[in-house]
Amino acid sequence: MDLPVVWANYISIGLFLALGIGVWSIPKSAIVPEEYAGEAWRDLRWWATGLILLQIALYTFFR
Amino acid sequence: MHPIDLAVVVAYVALITYVGIRFAQRVKTAKDFFLAGRSLTWWVIGLSIIGTNVDTNGYIGASGNAYSIGIAQANFEWIGAIPAMIIAALIFIPLYWRAGVYSIPEYLGLRYNQAVRVVAASIVVTVSVFAMGVAMWALAITLQTFIGWPIWLGILVSGTVVGLYSVAGGLGAVAITDSIQVCIMFLCGLIIVGIGISDAGGSANFVAKLTAENPTHLQAYLPSDHESYPWHAVILGLGLVLSPAYWVGGQAILQRTLGAKTQWDASAGMMFAAVAKTFVPVLIVFPGLLALVMMAQIEYPDMALPWVIKNVLPVGISGLMFVAIIAALQSSIDSSINSTALIITRDIRHVLMKNHNPDSDLKIGRLLTLGLLLSAMCIAPYIGNLGGIFNFLQSLLSLFQGPMLALLLLGAMTKRATGTAGIITLVSGVMLAGILSWGVELNMLFVAFFTFCYAVPALWIISGFTKPHSDEHLRKLTYSPWSSSDPNKQSAA
Repeated sequence: MDLPVVWANYISIGLFLALGIGVWSIPKSAIVPEEYAGEAWRDLRWWATGLILLQIALYTFFR
Repeated sequence: MHPIDLAVVVAYVALITYVGIRFAQRVKTAKDFFLAGRSLTWWVIGLSIIGTNVDTNGYIGASGNAYSIGIAQANFEWIGAIPAMIIAALIFIPLYWRAGVYSIPEYLGLRYNQAVRVVAASIVVTVSVFAMGVAMWALAITLQTFIGWPIWLGILVSGTVVGLYSVAGGLGAVAITDSIQVCIMFLCGLIIVGIGISDAGGSANFVAKLTAENPTHLQAYLPSDHESYPWHAVILGLGLVLSPAYWVGGQAILQRTLGAKTQWDASAGMMFAAVAKTFVPVLIVFPGLLALVMMAQIEYPDMALPWVIKNVLPVGISGLMFVAIIAALQSSIDSSINSTALIITRDIRHVLMKNHNPDSDLKIGRLLTLGLLLSAMCIAPYIGNLGGIFNFLQSLLSLFQGPMLALLLLGAMTKRATGTAGIITLVSGVMLAGILSWGVELNMLFVAFFTFCYAVPALWIISGFTKPHSDEHLRKLTYSPWSSSDPNKQSAA
């Protein structure tokens, strides 16, 4: 716990990256109904990826 | 208050009441009342989730905290929310939705046993009644501060407005009015940012002025020896335990996802809420920083937002901002009342009264909504005398969040956890949290983390000695999208 504060940012970024890997390990069939399979915007894994990238940007900036 | 500001407030109250009562005409059954007839679309769900989430503490308290500690306050909206919201959207919401439940205690009842359901429901109801009283009191204080109404009048008027649409329209009216309220909140937030940065002479000047005397106010984390928010406690307690427990197990939050018209809308609603949540610091953190930049002369940090409204915003906009604060409080109160009424009706009444008549759920739900509202209105005037009750409530929440999260996680992700192990772990985990909280006087973030660390292995080990449910029973209650017979496969219907 004596690590410099900036390490908290690095840990947060690492957690978000791990979350991103977890998100993409979920099969598409569990996210998008068959009826919507042709509509890419309904794949919530992309929504999650956008959010994760935004969070990484925030924790990179505010350190 | 300026007459134009007053006109804005009156117009808002009239709009919310009209929309709420119009929605009431659609309520014919208990399902309409508690789950909006499973008709909500993803964007209404998302906005309503944010409306429920941003409350008194989130608005006035967070601005005050941002005045004191800076952008670190935003951790409650970022690391302390977004990961859990993504997990809730992709794993837990599909699970609850497929289980066909009305509430989280109902899911726990199916997954474990009825004892776990009743204990979990009782904990949620107890905390909710006090939380509603606190919110109602905060609303009355806000009305007193801005327009000089006595506390009793503020409670009476706000309670009547919330009651009109909550009792009549149920979750549908609550979700629609929440959505309008959140749009008002974001509009006001953007106006404050625009005016604030313009008054400071641009964003570069704003940053320079802010960091000149407060060099750490743009750092996301505080040192490990910080009294309230050391960075490791924020990541471990808030990020890994309290936040997931809130976002995957909070009934008031998740109820609107259970009222979605499809499973995809339910998940997308939570994901949309996460997008909006990322920008919530614009509403609740920026005003605190702006008060610092403008060198506000305030007695204590919680006055930061009222100072900004009074001194920075022009006439009309300050009325709108005042409306935004009322909206934040109302949207939290109405959601709590609706979800608490649901839990009492289904998770306590249905389990304890074997001869109940499900046809009377709508009538009982409405009566309970009214009763809970009146209880909150009766408790509210005395909240101020209790002193520190908000902190007490937060500590109370931290008592059961760790064990509850362990039950939800192991219950959803494995077939090992058993009903007997569930009730033993829940009760012993809450007792351990009580000892850590009041005996050892540990920081509440650490209480949550350590009780979670206890509950996971306890549930795992005790389950090894007790009888699990059958695989068939657990098929739709556990998450296994990677198995060959995939019960998690989505359907739009």
